[in-house]
Amino acid sequence: MTDMAPLFSRKLRLIRGLVIALIVPVGASALAQDKLRVLTWPGYADPDLVKLFEQRTGSKVEVTFIDSDEVMWQKLSKNKAEDFDVFAVNTAELQRYIQAGLVVPVDTRAIPNIATQLPRFKDLKAIPGLVHDNKVFAIPYTYAEMGLIYDRKQIKEPPTSIRALWDPRYRGRVLLYNGGSHNFSLAAQALGDSTPFRIDSKEWPAAVEQLIALRRNAQGFYSQPEESVEMFKAGGTALMFANYGSQQVQLLKAAGLEVGYAMPKEGALAWLDCWAITRSNRNAKLALAWIDYLLEPQPSNALVTRQGLANTTSESQTLRHQDRLQWLEPVEDVERRSLLWERILSGDRAKKVLAP
Amino acid sequence: MKLGIAVKLGLLLAMVGVLASGVTGFYAYQASRSLLVQSAKAELLTTTKVLTRRITLSREEVSRNLQLLAGHPAAALAAQGRSLPDEDQMGTLMEQMMLANPSYFQIRLISASDSGLERVRVDRAEDRLVRVRGDDLQEKGHFSYVSSALKLATGATFLSRLVINHERGAHAGLDQPSVILATPVQDPQGNTVGVVVINLDLNGVFASLRADLPKDYQLFLANRNGDYVVHPDPSQAFGFDKGRRVFVQEEFEATTALMEGRASSVVTEVQTGKYANAPVVAAFVGRVVKISSDEDRLIVGLAQPLALVLEQADRLGGVILQLVIGLGVACVLLAAVVARAVTRPINSMSTAVQRFANGHQVATLAIDRQDEIGVLARSFDTMQNEIRQQLAALHENRLELEHLARHDALTGLPNRRAFQERLDHAVARAQRSKQRFALLFIDVDNFKTINDRWGHDGGDAVLKIVALRLNATTRKADAVARMGGDEFVVLLDNPAHREDITAIAEKLLESVRSPILHNGQELQVGFSIGISQFPDDGRTAAELMARADHAMYDAKAAGRNGFRFSSIKGTPSSPTPL
Repeated sequence: MTDMAPLFSRKLRLIRGLVIALIVPVGASALAQDKLRVLTWPGYADPDLVKLFEQRTGSKVEVTFIDSDEVMWQKLSKNKAEDFDVFAVNTAELQRYIQAGLVVPVDTRAIPNIATQLPRFKDLKAIPGLVHDNKVFAIPYTYAEMGLIYDRKQIKEPPTSIRALWDPRYRGRVLLYNGGSHNFSLAAQALGDSTPFRIDSKEWPAAVEQLIALRRNAQGFYSQPEESVEMFKAGGTALMFANYGSQQVQLLKAAGLEVGYAMPKEGALAWLDCWAITRSNRNAKLALAWIDYLLEPQPSNALVTRQGLANTTSESQTLRHQDRLQWLEPVEDVERRSLLWERILSGDRAKKVLAP
Repeated sequence: MKLGIAVKLGLLLAMVGVLASGVTGFYAYQASRSLLVQSAKAELLTTTKVLTRRITLSREEVSRNLQLLAGHPAAALAAQGRSLPDEDQMGTLMEQMMLANPSYFQIRLISASDSGLERVRVDRAEDRLVRVRGDDLQEKGHFSYVSSALKLATGATFLSRLVINHERGAHAGLDQPSVILATPVQDPQGNTVGVVVINLDLNGVFASLRADLPKDYQLFLANRNGDYVVHPDPSQAFGFDKGRRVFVQEEFEATTALMEGRASSVVTEVQTGKYANAPVVAAFVGRVVKISSDEDRLIVGLAQPLALVLEQADRLGGVILQLVIGLGVACVLLAAVVARAVTRPINSMSTAVQRFANGHQVATLAIDRQDEIGVLARSFDTMQNEIRQQLAALHENRLELEHLARHDALTGLPNRRAFQERLDHAVARAQRSKQRFALLFIDVDNFKTINDRWGHDGGDAVLKIVALRLNATTRKADAVARMGGDEFVVLLDNPAHREDITAIAEKLLESVRSPILHNGQELQVGFSIGISQFPDDGRTAAELMARADHAMYDAKAAGRNGFRFSSIKGTPSSPTPL
């Protein structure tokens, strides 16, 4: 079998070459006889969309799906990204790939569809972490914002600030996400910090006090979207920080609740998944063609209609153009945020929380 | 190979018997197997229901302890944080309760004010109880076991979700499967001023429940979504806490009905997935949590290896198999006996027929039997008697015919043919033993005249009388025959001398010459006798006959009514004058 394999694949390649020579228009032939190895999340590369790309370019696309940031990091860092050409990663996670030298800059001129993107995604420099030394390292693809969901019966005016979560009027009726990183960012935003992902050493006591205050105002903390819906229904929730964004809005509406969705003026925390190209890519042209293709209307619409996600080419229904988004960035110290948050969640008071 | 009717009948009967007992055994096994499985399932379901009831009882016991604490006079004051002695009193009470209940991780009195600050708290550490004080006391108002319990009426209990406890500082209970029960504490005015909370060690509770179950039973507990919280394989429990949910409905599809509230209990057999090699029978009971709780339904299940259930059926199968084999052997034996019983009369009859055919005396037939065999025997007996009678008649006829063939019908004397044989016989014997014999030809003189005068009746009467007289005069060893017409012949066996022959011839002549009475008339008849001797006058029958005949004509020529010896050899005897 091992002896046969090279012969066999050579033959296959020959046949494919012949087929491509017949059906692929001139110009695409440069991409022919190649394979694109994609590492991405479920829903980002559906088989029908992949097939269309393959037909158009005469290439072969190999998609590998992952379901967590950690697995993605393992797969790419293990073999110095040798196994993949292109992958989808959020802006915060992207930074460690840049630092490890696993990604190469993207030639934006080779992606004409960037012109069709919304202004907030076209201005790549305004999105933290995408541009380093004037070089673009990833192209925005899809995103989700974490706004405020409120019960229209209890809150008549949509909340405008993240500080609404601390509003004593909603005491015991505020639902929050059980996660240290985001909650400290929220606390920093509430304290008026413009860099919520970087809490200085002297800012910690205030941030902790702020989160203890949030805890005292809270009805509870959820982990899963379904759980949040149950707690919302059962606990008479007035306001909720929507870690899962519009997905939770849809679930609550499906559960028969009359809810509104608002973006705080401090900027709704939002994750943004982008396409990046690995240092070991075999065919940069093909990788760029892949990114360009995914910005086309058909794949972009598939994100909205099939996955309930937003795309970068058309304005989302839950978002007004003036709404601010605070793209996630790596936080200064994940472990510290996590540890302090566990203490706060357990009910410790400030002195105990800040203890070493 | 030719099989006798006994073998065939025996085989058929044995086959029917073995088949019947085999089929009966098989169906008996099938039926009892399914009955056993059914009863095992019913038993499993009952045990599961009992277990569910025991879980409720355990919960009720915790509720009673909560009431005990909440109802204590010191509780309300301690909850409001106004009285240290009251807090200590509650602390002591809690410690005693913790000592008595090893499955309690923690007992707390939590204030309704100060964001749910813990006022009194006793934790179980590795080998001791810890009274948590001061800054180590935490605010728990954001947990539903506080907020929900505060809303309850006096005496009601709140049940939290079944979770891994991640509340830091919980000592032995940290990161352990737990469930929390809480009840409100009221002040004398009826205001809710706090809650009493007991953290239960789920593993401890279920270990004691499991201890009462048979060893091979596997215990399952799942929440309303089907997430396992208790599983024989601990890695499958609390999957949701590890970001990898494991559902009961995936392992036991039938529990979907419980999940959707379509049934309150299900019993299922699982032979797929990880149970492909070791199928199990499992019973699940969906228990609606009736008290205030974040868990509205729990699913309790027990599984038992199917092999153990079937072990009993297999034992039964063994017994049935033995019975079937026993019955089969009995059937074979019975078949042999029956076959023999049926075929023995047939065989004895065929023996009888054979013996009859061979001319033997007929064996006894079973003519007394009242069945078909008896009818057959009687018919055969009748037939046999008829045949015997007919045969006897035939034999008689044959004898008669034979007699007729060798005897003269008129006189009853042997005829020429019979005499010829006798003569041949005598020649052969005489030649062998060097003996002598004499042949006497006797002819009625002027027989034609008798016939003419007295009719044929007269002739016949003469001949008959002559035959009688010749017989009477000769010895038994001598032979007398009628050669035809008026000719008779006498063979004298072994005469000693010629004189003896002469004496006999004279005696014969004398006896036949006496008058014969016919129709009242006396007839006087004369005879001529010619004599030849063996071996003097010839050594063959024909020679002797011819000589005797010749001698007889000589006697006639000499004047009738006398005898004459053959004169060819030796001196012819002078005719005896009458």
